[in-house]
Amino acid sequence: MNLTLPRFFWNEYRKRRKKAALITFALFWGTLSILLLLAFGQGMSAQFRISFSGLGQTLIMITGGQTSLSFEGLPKGRQIRVYREDIAYLRERIPEILVIAPESYNNWPASAGGKEVNRGVHGTTAEFALLRSQVPQMGGRFINADDVSQGRKVAFLGWSVARDLFGPADPVGKQIVLNRVPFTVIGVLKKKLQDSMYQGPDADQIYLPFSSFSMIDNQRYIDRLHIQPREAGQSKLVEERVRVLLGRKYRFDPADRYALSVWNTIEDSKEALAIFKGIEIFLGLIGALTLLIGAVGVTNLMYALAKERTKEIGVKLAIGARRRVIVQQFILETMFIFAKGTFWGFITAFNLVHLIRLVPVNYESFGIEAYLLRPVFSLQIFVVYVIILGVLVFLSGIFPALRASRSNPIESLRYE
Amino acid sequence: MIELQGIKKIYRMGSQSLEALRGVSLQVKKGEFISIMGPSGSGKSTLMNIIGCLDTPTAGDYTLDSDRVAGLSFDQLAAVRNRKIGFVFQNFNLLPYATAWENVELPMLFNGKNARRRKERVTQLLNAVGLYDWRGHRPTELSGGQQQRIALARALANDPPILLADEPTGNLDSRSGEEIMDILTELWKGGRTIVMVTHNDHISARSQRIVRLFDGLVLP
Repeated sequence: MNLTLPRFFWNEYRKRRKKAALITFALFWGTLSILLLLAFGQGMSAQFRISFSGLGQTLIMITGGQTSLSFEGLPKGRQIRVYREDIAYLRERIPEILVIAPESYNNWPASAGGKEVNRGVHGTTAEFALLRSQVPQMGGRFINADDVSQGRKVAFLGWSVARDLFGPADPVGKQIVLNRVPFTVIGVLKKKLQDSMYQGPDADQIYLPFSSFSMIDNQRYIDRLHIQPREAGQSKLVEERVRVLLGRKYRFDPADRYALSVWNTIEDSKEALAIFKGIEIFLGLIGALTLLIGAVGVTNLMYALAKERTKEIGVKLAIGARRRVIVQQFILETMFIFAKGTFWGFITAFNLVHLIRLVPVNYESFGIEAYLLRPVFSLQIFVVYVIILGVLVFLSGIFPALRASRSNPIESLRYE
Repeated sequence: MIELQGIKKIYRMGSQSLEALRGVSLQVKKGEFISIMGPSGSGKSTLMNIIGCLDTPTAGDYTLDSDRVAGLSFDQLAAVRNRKIGFVFQNFNLLPYATAWENVELPMLFNGKNARRRKERVTQLLNAVGLYDWRGHRPTELSGGQQQRIALARALANDPPILLADEPTGNLDSRSGEEIMDILTELWKGGRTIVMVTHNDHISARSQRIVRLFDGLVLP
């Protein structure tokens, strides 16, 4: 292979490097800003998803309410409660229910190691762990079926409660006194992002086996039913059937939206997913526009560079350069500048993203940093970006090159 | 060597058209040294561009070194310029960012001469114009006379049979001009065909024959 011309091109490029520096920088900056923009966008969207599922995925929560319509001669304004027996009743009649768990709640003093705090205490069953994303930290566990059936005096703590009562020490196996009854700590909740809640974040709660809770609490009805349908698409159906079945049992109109208070996170999450999609489309659009602006800028600079070289091209043509040589040189130079700027943009963005990810996130403040400090670097986006911008830059290089190579050498020579 | 027969060149700018050459016939024999003279606008630059294959005539026949130029493609014309013609311009037209050496080497890069032969030839040419010691300098670091000598060396790089000089002394002081003319005269004596455009009588006196152009026609 004859390397004479490539070497000559390289030589000429090096001599003009300073003039190309602006374009190289523009490409570097464009690459950096687009990659960062999309990395933060993706990271934000991903964090939203994580924190949204902090409460629990595909979850329907049902609480008793007050009727707002009169039904079969009964007046409106009646209190409706849900009872323990309703769990089996609903499970038998609605095959679409995958998991169902009760939850009752009270606010009790909790003390350990000479410290006392007031915290929400919940009685529930083993299924609650799955329903409400209750993942224990290493060395602990959540309430299991035996705890419930045998009425064990065991407690699962939110991480804030654990820290408030036990400090940095591991509370598992230690005693905690709730409403003057001693319990053994069996686990602590693993830290998680959670953006929706009903009695404060899970970090501040204490969970007991439903049976043990009922023994010291004198409330007959249960505060809340948690239901997970077999498929997310069945959530509306399950919700309606619960209304119909409980309406028949407790005699209220299934159409009465106040008789039962229902929180259907699946229906909510449809909305949230639409918002995430919206954010992503919005950022993609901004990215595309930035790309367009960048491409226009680069095209402009390339064009100016070509214009500046009109006379030089005239000289080369006059002394016998073929058209192909002129075009080749332009394209090689353009693509080299593109590769250089993009490469440094990529390296910088990649490292920045990974540096930012090293900053620890505070799980308790739910501040903006949890959403901003976890950008996601996507190689696919980079590849797509390189292809799109590569084509644009190639075009912006080839048109001035073709124009220059087709020009009449005399006119190019006269150009000042 | 050069045979022009009824050459016409018409420039069109929108609805206006300008007849720069109105039927020029001219013959230059091998080894001849001619000057083309004439006032501004007489068409001498246009004629020069056509002889130099930088431009094509609107009508007429042009035979260069027994090859017809009409009908050659852009790249074929480039090859003719590269091998058969050496150009010397009034304003030198050297590449500003390239060194003297690189400027002289340039025409050989476009026809694939190997590195050893290029090196030999550039060394020989720079010595011939007395600028070998200046080979690493850029044009802006050289005087006008030196630049034109570099341009001459470049024109001779591929050893073309014809040398076209468009006002070669136009931008030079008289002493540098004389030096350039001495080199041209020497080249002519060495057997090269030279066509020069000038409006300086003193310079044209060096040539064998003077062709006078007026208003797009050769004066008898």
